[in-house]
Amino acid sequence: MKGLKADGTPIRVMAVDDSPVTRKMVRKALEPEGFEIVAEAGNGKEAVEIYASTLPDVITMDVTMPIMDGLEAAGNIKKVNPAQKIIMLSAMGDSDIKADAQSRGITDFCTKPFKPQEMVDKVREVFNR
Amino acid sequence: MSIVQIAPFVAATVKVFKDMLETDIVKGQPEPEGDSFISRGFSVMVGLTGGWEGWFLLDMSQETACIFARAMTGEDYDTVENEEVLYAGAEIANIISGNAITTINNLQPGLNIRLAPPSVFAGQGMSMFNARLSSSSVLMESAAGPVKINVAAKEGK
Repeated sequence: MKGLKADGTPIRVMAVDDSPVTRKMVRKALEPEGFEIVAEAGNGKEAVEIYASTLPDVITMDVTMPIMDGLEAAGNIKKVNPAQKIIMLSAMGDSDIKADAQSRGITDFCTKPFKPQEMVDKVREVFNR
Repeated sequence: MSIVQIAPFVAATVKVFKDMLETDIVKGQPEPEGDSFISRGFSVMVGLTGGWEGWFLLDMSQETACIFARAMTGEDYDTVENEEVLYAGAEIANIISGNAITTINNLQPGLNIRLAPPSVFAGQGMSMFNARLSSSSVLMESAAGPVKINVAAKEGK
């Protein structure tokens, strides 16, 4: 089970995406491997607001979202906790966006579409860093 | 001035259908669409902004949209009135256009095309019209039914 820590407890994940279908796909990919989805958010502002009460190990964060986009939300969360591990999840992966994400301290980048196993491996890899 | 660069959108559509929906798709030839577009019943429009101004349209029947939504979530749908079918269609179009503009932006550094959030239209006999921008389409065949993509763009400000 790739979603379990060394002590047997689940790796805690927050899924942030304005598409409930994509959040469901993230959940369906991760939960069978033992990961726990501790929170979901439909935009960046919501993610920032619930972050402190959930403190996930890893966040999967969409880029293009209404109200507050993923890059701004990631920057705000990093101000609260610079060690927070965040995977940017986006259909757009051009060099400008990746550079912007890196400048905000994003841990890694995952381009949509993703296969379930890719998501599992990426979240595990980022957790291990 | 209109810019018609539909090839990256065709390639992204084939890849996304294969990788995400596990559906092989047979592509047709690009053809000019003129200033109007007749929908098959379920259309998703993604606006192109920044270096280009225009749109990407993904069009299919409502039955086909339900089949693709099922491929994404594993759940059965019999009507596009189910919100998850609308979100699934929006996400498919968003991913296709995102992958396509990534290719274009990487080939033309500084162009910086960006996407607007998708809009979903469902209904019979819909006609979309824009007198200021002509477009190109490619009709594709999938096991779930025909799918058409349509792209219109001009240089952004």
